[in-house]
Parts: sequence; C-alpha cells; structure tokens
Amino acid sequence: MKFGIFYELSVPRPWDQEAERKVYMNALEQVRLADELGFDQVWAVEHHFLEEYSHCSAPELFLTACAMQTKNIHVGHGIVICVPEFNHPIRIAERAAVLDILSGGRLEFGTGRSATWTELGGFRANPDETKKSWDEFVHCIPKMWMQERFSYEGRYFSMPSRAVLPKPYQKPHPPMWVAVTSPGTELDAGDRGIGSLGVTFTSFAEQEAKVKEYRRRIQNCNPVGGFVNNQVNTVNFLYCHEDSETGTKTGMRMIQYFNYLAAQLDMAKEAVPTKSYPSAGLLPSLRRQASSPGEQAKAPEGIAVGNPSHLISELRKWETCGVDRVNFLLNAAEIIPQEQVLNSLRLFAKEVMPAFADSHARAAAGGGR
Amino acid sequence: MPIFGKQDVQTAAARAPLMSGFDTDAWELKNAEILHLAFEVVEAPAEWLVPPALHPSIPPYAALSVARFPSTPVGPFMLAQVRLVIRAGIRPRGYLLGAYTDSEKAATELRTRWGYTVGLGTITLQSRHDRVIGTVGRGGQTILNMELENPEQISGSDVTYLDSLHLARVVENGKETSLIVQIDPEYVFHSAQRGKPHLISLQSDAWGANGKLQCTNAMHATFCRCDTDLPKLRFAMDPMVPVTQGSRRLAA
Repeated sequence: MKFGIFYELSVPRPWDQEAERKVYMNALEQVRLADELGFDQVWAVEHHFLEEYSHCSAPELFLTACAMQTKNIHVGHGIVICVPEFNHPIRIAERAAVLDILSGGRLEFGTGRSATWTELGGFRANPDETKKSWDEFVHCIPKMWMQERFSYEGRYFSMPSRAVLPKPYQKPHPPMWVAVTSPGTELDAGDRGIGSLGVTFTSFAEQEAKVKEYRRRIQNCNPVGGFVNNQVNTVNFLYCHEDSETGTKTGMRMIQYFNYLAAQLDMAKEAVPTKSYPSAGLLPSLRRQASSPGEQAKAPEGIAVGNPSHLISELRKWETCGVDRVNFLLNAAEIIPQEQVLNSLRLFAKEVMPAFADSHARAAAGGGR
Repeated sequence: MPIFGKQDVQTAAARAPLMSGFDTDAWELKNAEILHLAFEVVEAPAEWLVPPALHPSIPPYAALSVARFPSTPVGPFMLAQVRLVIRAGIRPRGYLLGAYTDSEKAATELRTRWGYTVGLGTITLQSRHDRVIGTVGRGGQTILNMELENPEQISGSDVTYLDSLHLARVVENGKETSLIVQIDPEYVFHSAQRGKPHLISLQSDAWGANGKLQCTNAMHATFCRCDTDLPKLRFAMDPMVPVTQGSRRLAA
C-alpha cells in the first residue's frame, strides 16, 4: 500500500492579510517534506466559496508550485469540477497538460462534479445536470489529449476541429480518476476504466464491498482513455505521535474541527430536491462522526491518529479491504502547529511506512497501467 | 470558527410565546399539503436574525412555507412560516422568524405547546395545473405571495424538510427564561412535485425580520402531500450559548 497527502486548505477566521498565505506556505513546506520522505502523491481539491473549510479554488496553481518544489511526488487534481459553469473542458485539458509537462509527467487527473449548493448555486449550475456533464467531459478530455485535432458536438459543449495544446507529457495521458462520494460512483469509475478516488470516510465493510464491485466492473470496462487505471485510493486523517494519548487527542481535535467546518455548508441534497445527489456527498459521513470542535473523543475505527503501532494496525485493515493508497489530511484550519504536523509526517515515514514497504513494491509492480 | 449569530435575543424574545411547559402530547397531521420555497438571503443583515447559539449556513437561506392541515385535534387549519436556515452545531435547522395561522384555537396550541411565534392571518393554498400558489394576508395587506411554477412529479424521497427551532419563553423554577425548542416532525410522502420558485412579495417586517431578511437567489420550490406530525419536544437550547454546550434533552 502507498501513501499520499490530501489538501482542502482550510483557513480559519480572522482572515487577515497573512492568513491564507500562511496556510498555503505551510502546505508547500509539508509537500516538500512529504516528497523527501517518500509519500508518492499530493492531491488538492477544487472548491469554491467554502468559507474556512476550503480556500483551494485554483488547485492547478497550487499543484504547479508543489511540482516545482519537489522531485518525485505525483501531483493530483482531487478533483477538477467537470461542470461547464465551473470549467470549460478545453481549458481543463489545456491546464492539466501544462501541469503534466511542468511536473515532468507527475500529474494524476481526478474528476468530479461538486456536492454543495454553496458551489453549484454560486456558479448557477443545475444540480440535475452535473453527473451528465461529468460523463461527457471524461469521455472527451482524453481524446483532446490523444488526438492531434479534436471536434465535438455534444450536450454541454461543442467545438469545431482544433488542436487542443499542449499535449500531456505522459503518453497517452495522465492516469484518470473520479471522486467517489455518492453511492454508485465507484461503479461509474469501474465502467469507464478510471481510478476510484475515495473522498469519504466509510466503514471497512462498506469499503471492501465497494472495492470488490469496482474490481469486478473494471474487468469489463469500456475505457474512456487510452489505458485503464484500476487503482483505489481512499482518504483519511493523519496525526502520528510516539505517545498514543497525545496522538489520538491531537488528531481528534483536528478531525472534530474539520467536520464542524464541513457541516456549515449547504449540501446539494439539502438545498435542492434532485435525484442527482442521493446522498449529501463528502460531508454526511463526516457529520456522523462530528460532534463539536474541541471535543475529545476516541478515534473512530480506521482513522490514522495515534501512535505508530496503532496506525499500522488500522492501515493494515484498509489494505485488507483492497485499498491501494491512503491519502491523508494533515491539518484543519491550522489547528495543529506546523512543526507538529511536520514531526507527525517524519514519524509516520520512519515508523509506519516501512511496515508497508513490501506491499508498496507489489502495488508499484502491479497497479496503474 | 464559523460565524455565530448576532441576534438581540432579549428583544426577539419579547415577541416570542410563553410556553406552558415541555411535556406536550404529539399531534398527528394527516393528509397535509405543504408548499415550500427556498431563497438565499443577503448575508450580513441575516446574521442579526440568528441567535448567538447558532451559525448562519453558508450561504444563509430562507425557507418559506404555506401548509394546509385538514385533520388535526383542533380541526382544520392553515399554517404559514418564514424560517431562516442555520446550523445548530453541525445540524441544519430552520430557525422560525414568524408564522401565521387562520385558526385561533390552533394558534393558542401552537404557541403554548410548541413555541410557535404565530399570529392570525388569512392564508390560501391553491394547486393548479401550471402552478401552486400560497398567500398570506394580515389586516387587509398581503404579507407573503409565492408560487411554484411548472410543477413536475418527483419522489418524496428527494425532498428534504429541515427540523425547526423556535425561540420561546418558559417559566422554570419560578423564573421566566428564553430558550430555543426543536420541532422535528416526521413525513410520509404521498406525492411530491418540484418547480420554479417565484416570490411575488414578502413583507419581512410582518414576519419579525425587521428589514433584515432580503431574499435573493432562488433555490427550489416543492409541493407535497404527506402525513406529518407535531411531535413531543425532545431538545431545548440556550439561545446565548453554542448549542454544543447549551443543549439539553427533554424527552426520549
């Protein structure tokens, strides 16, 4: 199993001149360290208008900065919103290709459609249409990359024959993923031959069933791109400390705060009566575990907070479920001081990562293309 | 930390009802019809409508409803509500700004047993082939006129009605205090429609908003036929203390 890191870039009030810069600079320092320590991917969300929860609206810029300051770590769009009111598909293809070139072929291309009314309403996007526009975009973007010229007449966009430039550095194109939030999206991923980028917190049993069905479906997929990406990523929190109680207590403080911020947003399901969002997306599973900021609680099953041996035992369970990679949120609203976040990363790399070195090698040999 | 409300609770409580206690029986409300519209509202003034215990949602929005209850223990009545959607800790809720009913009997019960800030008004709810219309009048003036246009059938499972929070007064230990009670009905849907929301007029001052509720971006409109209830009270909150610290359970 491999490990990555995942950014929402949450910025607590008060928003003075330095607040957002501090969050971005701290994140970049973490990414540089993660690269040195052997984490293999860094992901950044695309969110808009999500006050405090996520100030990461231009992930392609943040990820470019990450790529320019690192050597090996892959940079992942987690995700690009494939809704025309947010992003034109030509621009998505162009920006992603540039990032792939600048990073020397280290782009992981995640796709999705947004789950909040805060965002969808802000762009005046119709929640009924987002799944359909996502589907159209993920079919077209790899063709824009692979074909010298591309033309298209579709439901959400049309274009005459043009060369969409530049082309990605990776050939035929970067690995594609979809954010799995709503039930069934993992099946959409399998059917299209793209990776399953889990961004919700699920139980082991639920995850195992999802992975199993994903693996079955992807065997008979009709790939949207030039190759099949059959990997399963999931998301988790990370706070690793030698002392179990300190690790759990600090980690839980981060989780509770993160969840509390997440709960303040207007979810699409709550705000609009539509079949397009059968669950509240990213946040309901967070809400189930949330209570209040600052409340100390026992770490829920599967959450990577505590001492190294506890983390190894919890991550082994994810490995058993068939997960290829766990991506970690390292902080929320800067509630953990930066030095402690860096120490947590160092300790994880020293004490936990080696326990998964064999499976890491196996995944590198068998995963991906 | 998310923004907390800035409401002057003492002033707001002056128009809130005096409840007779918390131990009330539930009412079944069979065959209800509910027209429900939602609109985003201007953020800054809306913060002054939210008690310090609660957070405005991001973005804040108003939930406007006109309902007909044909079968209740006090006979048929209509009920119109204007609520502001907020967060009680991590929970989305509709904070009641004001309500009207056409039944004096219902008004008394709603005030004393469930803490509704409710006045008497003239309420209409008409379902036509191309629209559903809800109006509320008071003293010869229309204070709410709204429509769902071009209804289309949907599943009731796609409809989300948020639980309500009511600011009320109650006498506890011989002392009158202000608190917020939670009203969390259940719904069994018989039919549901959605359509385009159209707010023709809303006199926000008539709903206790004093110019601070300014509807902007339309979100949704639904019209449902359902069985619902006014349940036993389960939770009460201190309006001045974050609900994560100031909530208490009233009944199982």
